Amino acid sequence: MREDGLLTRKFDKLLIANRGEIALRILRACKALGIQTVAIYSDADRDALHVRFANEAYYVGPSPSRESYLRIDKIIEIAKKSGAEAIHPGYGFLAERAEFAQACVDNDIVFVGPPAHAIAVMGDKLRARETVIAAGVPVVPGTEPGLTDKELLTEAHKIGFPLLVKASAGGGGKGMRPVFEASELENAIAGAKREAASAFGDDTVYIEKLITEGRHIEIQLLADAHGTVLHLGERECSLQRRHQKVIEECPSHVVDEELRQRMGAVAVAAAKAVDYVNAGTIEFLMDKDKNFYFLEMNTRLQVEHPVTELVTGVDIVQEQLRVARGRKLRLTQEDVTMTGWAIECRINAEDPYNNYLPSTGTITTSRVPTGPGVRVDSGVFPGYTVSPYYDSMISKLICYGETRGEAILRMRRALDEYRIMGVKTNIPFHQHMMESHRFHTAQFDTNFVEEKFSMDQKEADHQLEAAIVAALVAHRQSQKASQIVAPGERDTSNWKWYSRWERLRR
Amino acid sequence: MRYFATIEGEEYIIDIGKETISVGDETYHVDFMDLAERGMFSLLINNRSIEAVVEEEDEATSVLIKGELYSVKVQDERTRRLAEARGETADSGGELVIKSPMPGIVIATPAEVGQVVEKGDQIIILESMKMENELRAPRGGIVTRVAVTPGTSVEKDQVLAIIGDEEES
Repeated sequence: MREDGLLTRKFDKLLIANRGEIALRILRACKALGIQTVAIYSDADRDALHVRFANEAYYVGPSPSRESYLRIDKIIEIAKKSGAEAIHPGYGFLAERAEFAQACVDNDIVFVGPPAHAIAVMGDKLRARETVIAAGVPVVPGTEPGLTDKELLTEAHKIGFPLLVKASAGGGGKGMRPVFEASELENAIAGAKREAASAFGDDTVYIEKLITEGRHIEIQLLADAHGTVLHLGERECSLQRRHQKVIEECPSHVVDEELRQRMGAVAVAAAKAVDYVNAGTIEFLMDKDKNFYFLEMNTRLQVEHPVTELVTGVDIVQEQLRVARGRKLRLTQEDVTMTGWAIECRINAEDPYNNYLPSTGTITTSRVPTGPGVRVDSGVFPGYTVSPYYDSMISKLICYGETRGEAILRMRRALDEYRIMGVKTNIPFHQHMMESHRFHTAQFDTNFVEEKFSMDQKEADHQLEAAIVAALVAHRQSQKASQIVAPGERDTSNWKWYSRWERLRR
Repeated sequence: MRYFATIEGEEYIIDIGKETISVGDETYHVDFMDLAERGMFSLLINNRSIEAVVEEEDEATSVLIKGELYSVKVQDERTRRLAEARGETADSGGELVIKSPMPGIVIATPAEVGQVVEKGDQIIILESMKMENELRAPRGGIVTRVAVTPGTSVEKDQVLAIIGDEEES
């Protein structure tokens, strides 16, 4: 074991501390490598696919995640009871909790992820910033918190305008003031302090350069326990709503090979600064002049990892398992090549026509698109209940093409083929995006979805057909009803009647 | 047989014959098949192929075609006469009951009783799935009842507010 609490060792049985599509994704990688799998499930998930696909499954607790999928003690206990020698945390839940990684190691269980120390450093905004600055990684220019007003004014002029005055204790846009000219600065500082004092009881503020028209570009990393860190190129994740990514692609339209290698090298340096091991992602904010700044590191597998898998041909989850088994990466940086284009649409149970209101209920129909260049990672099935306990993602629809254009056309075709009934989905949002000029030309930034994209212009092309179908169904019902009450016909089953009606109409 | 199908305020008068369907002046040759898969239908309309998923609910029929979900109100001549006798029409009218789409906690009730609201105005803000969700007026009217207060825990389909016709009050 390393000093930073990393344990790598060969294992043949692994517990998946997660649910939904990512639990299935991990199960599939385990099966490919001949690793036995242990699933855990809450009350809501007894019928879930990850339970049915695993070799073994253990009950972990009630439906709310804090009583089940977030219970470190119970999960460790199940791992020991089942004889699982390793735990994969997936994403979300316990994936970025240093104490969980540490608890695994303390119980002699391999944690499929980075050392606890790396999670802790990268999970603390201030420490992460200091650590990567020391490694020469560019960050958004800004001041330390706690300067006097006079110092802030001096620093502001050094940073330049536009800039943001931000509350140290801030969040949710409170205590945040954009400043476009020097003359507005004093008022903005006073205003931000007032707001921060009333919202957080702490009026400490700092200044940061405001990046307008910023894009979210992230670099996928793979690192082994023997000191090798590789990057697998970038992903473009600028299309977000409420800081939740909705569409991701690989590569990015705005990143060329030279920039890719430059960003990749910076990301590798950031990872090395915390002795990173396993899969991770460095998120950057890129301005319109293609300057890029470190935002944060995600010390885990990401939701959007499949787009990178399709373009690089690397099975990231299998690599995670190999690295956790103590193996060296089989690839060198020169072996990593990017071929073609992949786009991922997150299919969520929400209503794009009603302010993206989450939609709960039982899925009655689920037929996923197939065919060339289409991959669907999903954990739902007819009879699956979208509950308020977990997130609203139903599936990830990923399409690959030789070019971006081909990937878009395949995505349009796949969205048309997708049938989900029982809950509302954001499929119309994706269809509308795939038809939009701004998406075709990749002219978007992180504010695009919320500020410049509207569902109002989406054409509902099949209204007439929908009216006809509904009328035909009603007609069928009324014919059936009159048939049932007709004397002498009571012994005729509905089934027979249906087929007779079909014949009569021909 | 004649049916009246209404989608978002647009009414289609549909006459169903033996092998054809007329909608207004247009006549279509149709072949409609109930597929073995639950709720799925295949429609050939002048040989143009449409696959639809249909779910019948109390107030409307949901029809899914190519990713788009249509909510269709269907009446035949008899149910239409009955509705007219009650003073309702298919596209508007009567009380509109705002129900909770999911379990959650009411954060705020921006609309007050007696307030005239437009389509899209905020009525209730509900926290669920760790998110604040705005429930907006599906159409204009006057708020006749707000059944919850901030902090109320609500179940799915619980009545939150009622919007009545403006002219009625």
